[in-house]
Amino acid sequence: MSLIEVRNATFAYEHENVFENIDIDVRRGEILCLFGPNGCGKTTFLDCLLGILKLKRGQIVLEGENIDHFKSYEIAKHIAYVPQRHERTFPYKIIDIVLMGRAAYTPTFSTPSMEDVAIAENALEIVGMSKLKDRRYTQISGGQGQMVMIARALAQKTPIMLMDEPTAHLDFKHELTVMETIVKLVKDKALSVIMATHFPNHAFYFENNDIPTRVALMNEGEFAEIGYPGKVLTSENMKRIFNINSEVISHLTTRGNELKHIIPINTLKK
Amino acid sequence: MNKVKRRLVYILLIFAPLICIFCSLFLGRYPVSISMVMKILWFKLTGIGGDFPPIYKTVVWDVRMPRAILGALVGGCLAVSGASFQGLFRNPLVSSGILGVSSGAGFGAALAFLFFHNTFMVYVFSFGFGVLAVGLSYIIGRIYNTTPTIMLVLGGVIVSSVFSALISLAKYVADPYDQLPAIVFWLMGSLASARYKDIILGGLPMVIGILGLIAIRWQVNVLSMGEKEARSLGINTTVSKGIVIICATLAAAGAVSVSGIIGWVGLVIPHIGRMMVGNDNRILIPTAVSLGACFLIIVDNLGRVLTGAEIPLGILTALVGGPFFVYLLKRTKGGGW
Repeated sequence: MSLIEVRNATFAYEHENVFENIDIDVRRGEILCLFGPNGCGKTTFLDCLLGILKLKRGQIVLEGENIDHFKSYEIAKHIAYVPQRHERTFPYKIIDIVLMGRAAYTPTFSTPSMEDVAIAENALEIVGMSKLKDRRYTQISGGQGQMVMIARALAQKTPIMLMDEPTAHLDFKHELTVMETIVKLVKDKALSVIMATHFPNHAFYFENNDIPTRVALMNEGEFAEIGYPGKVLTSENMKRIFNINSEVISHLTTRGNELKHIIPINTLKK
Repeated sequence: MNKVKRRLVYILLIFAPLICIFCSLFLGRYPVSISMVMKILWFKLTGIGGDFPPIYKTVVWDVRMPRAILGALVGGCLAVSGASFQGLFRNPLVSSGILGVSSGAGFGAALAFLFFHNTFMVYVFSFGFGVLAVGLSYIIGRIYNTTPTIMLVLGGVIVSSVFSALISLAKYVADPYDQLPAIVFWLMGSLASARYKDIILGGLPMVIGILGLIAIRWQVNVLSMGEKEARSLGINTTVSKGIVIICATLAAAGAVSVSGIIGWVGLVIPHIGRMMVGNDNRILIPTAVSLGACFLIIVDNLGRVLTGAEIPLGILTALVGGPFFVYLLKRTKGGGW
């Protein structure tokens, strides 16, 4: 059964449609990569899934019920969100940031319980950040900051996690750490992840790690193609959408599994 | 913070303002001996005794006591509304007056001085216009709904400047021998006229505001993550923001209407709190209440003891607070700030 079904979804600011007639469903333990050029509507689509923006037409069905019927705390018990860029304001302790993941379970005029603290600490443990729990989160690196955001999303205890370019601005190693953490979460907890990304190789990375992965290739407000990475991320599609020459390469590792990768060659003149 | 330590901090936060109120009963230009103050307190608490001249009772119980209590309430309110607004607007430079409550209240008071010259109307008008100013800011902030927080701040700035202009207009047309000094003195802030009826009048909105903000304090943490993140974390931001704004406005408008405009407390006391206990609003908001209360009582005591003529509070808060802030900055090296 699908956790989320999107049916015929259209969203518009004023009169200009951002995306039109989108259909997709996401199953348990699956990663869906939203891939497409800047401004194609990925973030807007994620905001609609979060219930922050309302669709103009169509519907989003969350575990059998229309998302419009959910209150914000109910959505937050189903869908957690890892933002693309988090603007740090006050130097809260890391544990206090992760604890905010329990907001959906905490009544308005109340504070988190000891149990919530235990859940937050456990979430930090999972992403390997326990040691830093009393550090100020303005003093940690961008990569560590992203792990804190993932821990906060984990503390929400949701079946679905939305990520908006979770590796943007990260260095080579931290990018891999975030990717490994996502793989671990999907494998261990059967989490479903919907992730907007600018790197086609992220989708291949998940596939190379034996995770059910699909790519939704988004262009000019619609899904040009949806399917397995090898089927969607082809040099023809790259040429069509991005106007670039690229090549998909595949090679066998010493351990005998196949690694796929897409390599950009050059941009094409119109 | 472990449980025992946290409990100790809370006890300290509750007792510190009470101790300040108690101490200020002994201070003042009219000499009252320590034993006499104790006698009066004992009589008021138990009803036993009462063999003292009524002038002492008036000084201690009807002048110093209400003044100290009102100082505690006003200081606590200004500080806590500043701390909450800083969290809500994700901006450490914001103070309790950001949505126009001070200038609105100032104009209300000026109007009352012009037309009624009666203290009760000064309360009503300053409180009413303080709340009205925030309401206007909120409405302006909702007109264009894409970036609500920035628009709200902008609304506050616009409303503040309009009311400031109106205050100047009121001063311009005021009778320079009678009304103008009253307006100017009121705008400098003072607790000198504090009586129990002020506590009853201004106390209700102030207490509601403080208690509301203490109750919702953890959500201020979440709201400070920004609108989108707070919603994705499951907060109904419209409702929560509304509650914070209403409570902070009740507190600030209540305070301003009984004391006049006292600057500085609503901006800097929250930061002193941040240095001492960190940024977590669960502990910061109660700390701000307590610190603001203690600070204003102490400054008010200085104001009435230092010189023969009382120095207006709005002037002293900055004069005393500024150096204290620098001292603390040096001492804690920013600390949890």
